[in-house]
Amino acid sequence: MIKLFKYSIIFSLGLLVVACTDLEEDLVGDITEDFSEDGVNVDGPGGSDGPLTALYAELRNSGTANHGGYYSIQEITTDEMFIGAKGGDWFDGGDLIRLHQHTYTANHPFINGAWVATYNAIATANDNLGSGNLNESEVAQARAVRAYFYWRLLDSYGRVKLVTENDTDPPQASREDVFAFVESELLAALGISEVTADMDLSASPLADGGSAYTMNRYGALGLLAKLYLNAEVYTGMPMYDKAEIAASFVIDSGVYVLCDEGCSVPNLGRRPDVTTDPATLDGYAAVFAANNEGNPEHIFSVRYDEVNGPGMNFSQMNLHYSSQFTFNFQEQPWNGYATVEEFYNSYEDGDKRKEASFIVGPQLDFSGSALLDYAADDDDIQLNYTPEINELAPNSSREAGARPAKFSFKQFGRAEMDNDFPIVRLGELYLIRAEARARQADNWAVAEADVNVLRERAGVDPYNGQLTEDEFLAERGREMFQETARRTDLIRFGRYNDTWWEKPVSEPFKNIFPIPQEQINSGGGLTQNPGY
Amino acid sequence: MKLNFNSMTRGVVLVLALFLCNFTFAQRTITGTVTDAETGETLIGANVLVVGTSTGTITDFDGTYSLNVSEDATALEFSYTGYGSQRIEIGSQTVIDIAMSAGQQLEEVVVVGYGSQKEKEITSSVTSVSAEEFNQGPITDPAQLLQGKVAGLQVYNRGGDPNGRSVIRLRGISTVGANTEPLVVVDGIIGASLDNVDPNDIESVTVLKDGSAAAIYGSRGSAGVILVTTRTGQKGQGVQFSYNGQLGASTAFNSVPVMSAEEFVAAGGTDLGSQTNWTDEVTRTGITNVHSLSASGGSGNTNYRVSGNYRNVDGILNNSGFEQFNGRVNLSTKAFNDRVSLDFNSSFTNRNSDYGFNEALRYAVLYNPTAPVFGKDAPFPFASDQYGGYFETLGLFDSFNPVSIIEQNRNQGKRTEVTYGARLGYRITDNLEVSGRVAQQKTTLANRAYYPTTSLFRGNATSPTRKGRADFYDEITSFQLYEGYATYVNDIGSRSNLRVTAGYSYQQNNFESTYLSLGDFPNNIQDYGNLIQTSQDLQNAGFIQANSAVSPDEKIIAFFARANFSFDDAIFLNASVRREGSTKLGEDNRWGIFPALGVGVDLNRYLNFNRVDLLKVRLGYGVTGSLPGPNGLSQPIRQVVNGADGSVSTELIRAANPDLKWEEKAELNFGVEFGMDRFTATLDLYNRDISDFILERTVDAAVFGVDRRFENAGRLTTQGAELTLGYDVVNSSKVSWNTGVVLSTYKTTLEEYVIPQEIRANLGAPGQNGTNLIRVAEGEEIGQIWGPVYAGVGENGAPLLSDINGDGQVIGDQGNALNPEADFQVLGNGIPDLEFGWTNQLRLGEWSVNAFFRGALGHSLVNTFRAFYEPRISSQSSYNFVNTELVEEGLTAAQFSSLYVEKADFFKLDNLTISRSFSFAKDSAIRGLTVSLTGQNLFILTNYTGTDPEPALVDYGSADNGGEVDFSNPDVLSPGIDRRYNYFASRTFTLGVNLNF
Repeated sequence: MIKLFKYSIIFSLGLLVVACTDLEEDLVGDITEDFSEDGVNVDGPGGSDGPLTALYAELRNSGTANHGGYYSIQEITTDEMFIGAKGGDWFDGGDLIRLHQHTYTANHPFINGAWVATYNAIATANDNLGSGNLNESEVAQARAVRAYFYWRLLDSYGRVKLVTENDTDPPQASREDVFAFVESELLAALGISEVTADMDLSASPLADGGSAYTMNRYGALGLLAKLYLNAEVYTGMPMYDKAEIAASFVIDSGVYVLCDEGCSVPNLGRRPDVTTDPATLDGYAAVFAANNEGNPEHIFSVRYDEVNGPGMNFSQMNLHYSSQFTFNFQEQPWNGYATVEEFYNSYEDGDKRKEASFIVGPQLDFSGSALLDYAADDDDIQLNYTPEINELAPNSSREAGARPAKFSFKQFGRAEMDNDFPIVRLGELYLIRAEARARQADNWAVAEADVNVLRERAGVDPYNGQLTEDEFLAERGREMFQETARRTDLIRFGRYNDTWWEKPVSEPFKNIFPIPQEQINSGGGLTQNPGY
Repeated sequence: MKLNFNSMTRGVVLVLALFLCNFTFAQRTITGTVTDAETGETLIGANVLVVGTSTGTITDFDGTYSLNVSEDATALEFSYTGYGSQRIEIGSQTVIDIAMSAGQQLEEVVVVGYGSQKEKEITSSVTSVSAEEFNQGPITDPAQLLQGKVAGLQVYNRGGDPNGRSVIRLRGISTVGANTEPLVVVDGIIGASLDNVDPNDIESVTVLKDGSAAAIYGSRGSAGVILVTTRTGQKGQGVQFSYNGQLGASTAFNSVPVMSAEEFVAAGGTDLGSQTNWTDEVTRTGITNVHSLSASGGSGNTNYRVSGNYRNVDGILNNSGFEQFNGRVNLSTKAFNDRVSLDFNSSFTNRNSDYGFNEALRYAVLYNPTAPVFGKDAPFPFASDQYGGYFETLGLFDSFNPVSIIEQNRNQGKRTEVTYGARLGYRITDNLEVSGRVAQQKTTLANRAYYPTTSLFRGNATSPTRKGRADFYDEITSFQLYEGYATYVNDIGSRSNLRVTAGYSYQQNNFESTYLSLGDFPNNIQDYGNLIQTSQDLQNAGFIQANSAVSPDEKIIAFFARANFSFDDAIFLNASVRREGSTKLGEDNRWGIFPALGVGVDLNRYLNFNRVDLLKVRLGYGVTGSLPGPNGLSQPIRQVVNGADGSVSTELIRAANPDLKWEEKAELNFGVEFGMDRFTATLDLYNRDISDFILERTVDAAVFGVDRRFENAGRLTTQGAELTLGYDVVNSSKVSWNTGVVLSTYKTTLEEYVIPQEIRANLGAPGQNGTNLIRVAEGEEIGQIWGPVYAGVGENGAPLLSDINGDGQVIGDQGNALNPEADFQVLGNGIPDLEFGWTNQLRLGEWSVNAFFRGALGHSLVNTFRAFYEPRISSQSSYNFVNTELVEEGLTAAQFSSLYVEKADFFKLDNLTISRSFSFAKDSAIRGLTVSLTGQNLFILTNYTGTDPEPALVDYGSADNGGEVDFSNPDVLSPGIDRRYNYFASRTFTLGVNLNF
């Protein structure tokens, strides 16, 4: 009896010890499984992205329109924009001056930030493609969106790893291989093997038009047009013929029209007491307005939303602290990005794009009273954005520089903006076709017809034999300001290394950004680009 | 080690049977009195132990004891601090009186993990601090009791924010993945909160410094162990009361020197027409009240102590401080002829804090000294009503009226903490005792902040639509501890013995929190923080911020065993092994085995040096595992992504690492203890080697899809030395003066790291984001402040930098900080080379004086106030200018360089207490009264121009323009940065009364 008692004690003790060695970790407070794979989604008013929700969201999350990543390194490295060091304010260890003066190194945090965000987006695409839960159309969309992100890497860094759902750790590919991958992925999504004048896209699983928030055939073709336009830079092989075909196909499809006469939206930035504020935004201005959803010119756009779609912070980045009172912003702006004076002056007066793209001059508050800057460093206490800029650093004036405002601001705006950001829009396709034709013909007059379409909308005189290579670049700049196109354009025109305001001549190797040192250090076998 | 399984089984059965049966054993009671051999005075609290067992007692206030011993007990051992121990054969005696001689070898019993040991048998580095040696004066955090008292223990609460917590560190960092502080064990409860112990209730503190001592506690002991023993009642004693009261007054000790209004205008600052000393406007004399009352006693086999402690502390910053009530009950009892023992203790703390806003101090420094406090005094029409009547410099980044911050907003917290623990012991034979322990603790914290619609600071007063903000944060942390262990003691001959302890430990931690922030309140007619349904945010999606977190059941499970063997009463051997598992690690690497071994030899026994009382050498080696704080280290973490169309998906934010394994710390400690006449000395030398440390590191974003995951990635070593010296300068019955010094030094080297070198610790806004202050590099010491060397004022007022490498060009821009061609160098180190504490106790009859000096040498601090606001930047002319003796006239650009790195060596009179005790007649109701006056921070010698030269061991990053500092995530690799949110140091005078009745 005693023995039985003893054994039962030992047995229960043993049981206790086994039960008390369970170390399974159940992370109840975190998400550890991807439920996009299960296709979970909540249908909203505008239909649903379904399992591709996260992927389309990556377009916003990847630095497309905020500070510190892709947008910054595409914009303030060019003659379009700068960020002046105002004493200590916006000095930031010299990082911003380094971008402007092309003295960036592999340790630049923005260059790393853009890389990481882009690969994060690619990983989401790979998650989706590897899940096996996508239908045919969704597979094509995911591949085309992924190709767009690889195009960013191709354009910025050149040699990168082509990670896919099937190959999780490939070696670093050459720039030519990356080009070929982007091209083949877009062609596959379009269901064709080559871009030709008589191509038939009916086999493409992509939609034939429809929402600009979903990658459709014209979006993919637009991306191809951009890719071919820059093919000579990427691979040494010009492909302007294909660029022309792709752009033409979209323009000629008639699915999209330029936002011109009659294309108008209410001006959400209007102050009731300021009579100079227009009631509506028309034409070019409407393309980028806070309420630009569904604009007929948008082919493929990033959907920003002040609540559900954060990631666009231009009001914070571009405006002076006091401009909060002009727009009744919920948060105080940061006084960072401004326009290079020569660039601003390249617009002629009366160009509607000039009016739509900048805020300049003495500023008024919501009620029409003078907007005051109590910390003004000039004698005038009224805030006055001057196109003239005293210097880049160290004491750049707090009020210097016309402020980029093409993606226009709305009253009572939040730190997050509502404006959609076009990645492919019809206006640019006219420019691509114009340039591709001119380069094939080696004659810039050939480009005038398409360029004049845009000039007419802008309310300026059409070209008539005056168009030169330089003028075309300037015109392209005016049309595409603030759309992260300038760096790519300057490189294609061989002007990125030129000197401009507060920027010396730079070495040609700067045309490709360095592979971020942090990524090299992480031990994945990446090697640095030449020159760095 | 041979353990008799049958006796184990028997033990288990008997423990259970206890509840069913009533056993009697052959017992006898021995009583007696212990006196001083010279004076004949009775000795209170002397230890009486039955040799070869853990049975014992201590003498009461009359020096008497009473002890039940079993028939087979052969001898009693008497010991008392400062007296030689004696062993007396019991024979047939029932009364054993003994006279003990002073001045001989110490024979103290020290609490160690899962038991206690004679001090001389200890083979590792252990320091005990008794209540008399604690720092005096009003203490807001029990760790401060030990500041400067234990060689190798760093305790720093920079500035002394009453609601701030000290950074506690033993022998440098023990991991880089987290700020791991020493494990606190209160009365045997592992991981008990030090915040739930009132300083007045602490009897003694023992610090286990090296790996061999701490190894029995496993991973949680990897950063060292602090064992706290609270006061208990005395056996056989009638109820006795003790009252402790303190009344203190604190004033700001130091502030950042800035320009006066006239100087500011003369320097070209924007003149707003007033003259305001902003620091005076936000600081005050803080009054502190402390009242403690305890009752203790014992009757029969039971003794108890009950105490209540009340603290009301006002900080020197307006509207900051706390009010706290703490209660504690300790109870222990023995039954069945002392074979069964039960210890129970429980404590409760309720603390209401006014955190206030340290930002008010920051903006007091930088705010325009010509600005008025109130808008009505502005030089131009100012919409005062919109800002609650206060003036604000609108349109200026990172500038808020400090008086408005502190007066309009509230930032409060309520913390309630309950801890209880019970130990049940059963002595199966005189040689074997089994114990079980259950303990639980629960802490709830409720923080509330409210910023009215008229506060510019976080209240968004400039916004037309989004005014006001209410923040709610609630947190519950809890743990459970279940342990069982057995101790076997056996004498082998008269001078040797063996003690074996083995057991099982289950520890579970849980955490949950919720956060809610919402705003847009109707107006400022009342505090809507208690009426949040009025928030207009409820009508606008996306404005309410909500967050919650729940931890998994974080468990540590361990099996451990330890053997202590002493041979010839002079050679001591300790060995332990612990097999431990954690939920945090990768599936295949959850369990680790961590051994420890220690040897000590009492050399004096064999060498018999003339006049030498003590000469012991010891060597200890121990391996412990170690883990950083967060859960889910090995698992993938994703976050929800909302589609703009209302759909929902997820994306990866941290990659999994199923191979993650234990970080290991191996520590070797060599010590020498020496005593001769009035002089004592202890020297410890150690080497720590931490390998495979766990770190969230950058990984190839292309491969993992995200650039973060936890990996075992590196190794660091620490070498250090600690010296403790004591000397009785004068020692007579009327006058005594003893003095002691503790000295410590260590150096930590990052042997292997994820990358060869990196820079970290961003200086911050305005404008110095992208300026990193600290470099860590493989093979080099940690804590390097890194930057260019200042050479003078250049053209345009920009700083000239030195061409350090002499290559004819100066590369001093931050983007090139790690470029081998760059002119950067180590500008200082944030970790002191030498830290010391110097104690003096002087007794003149009824008067006594305690003077405690403390200092640190060799560390530097980056003075960030100067780095931002000392250059005369014209475009920042609406901030005040910092104006120290180090100012460089003509410098108008803020760029970090050696100019802002200052040596922060200091020597201070930390604490001076003068007290007088009064005696009363034997039959008086009052047994004792002591009145004392304490001064803290009385003087300081330093060249540092900031407010407090004490080392900053961790960095919490920068926070600007109303942003909040994240105190939950300290960077241990970036010491040496004096950030702009630190509290100002204060000086305190306290009147204290201690009454026993």
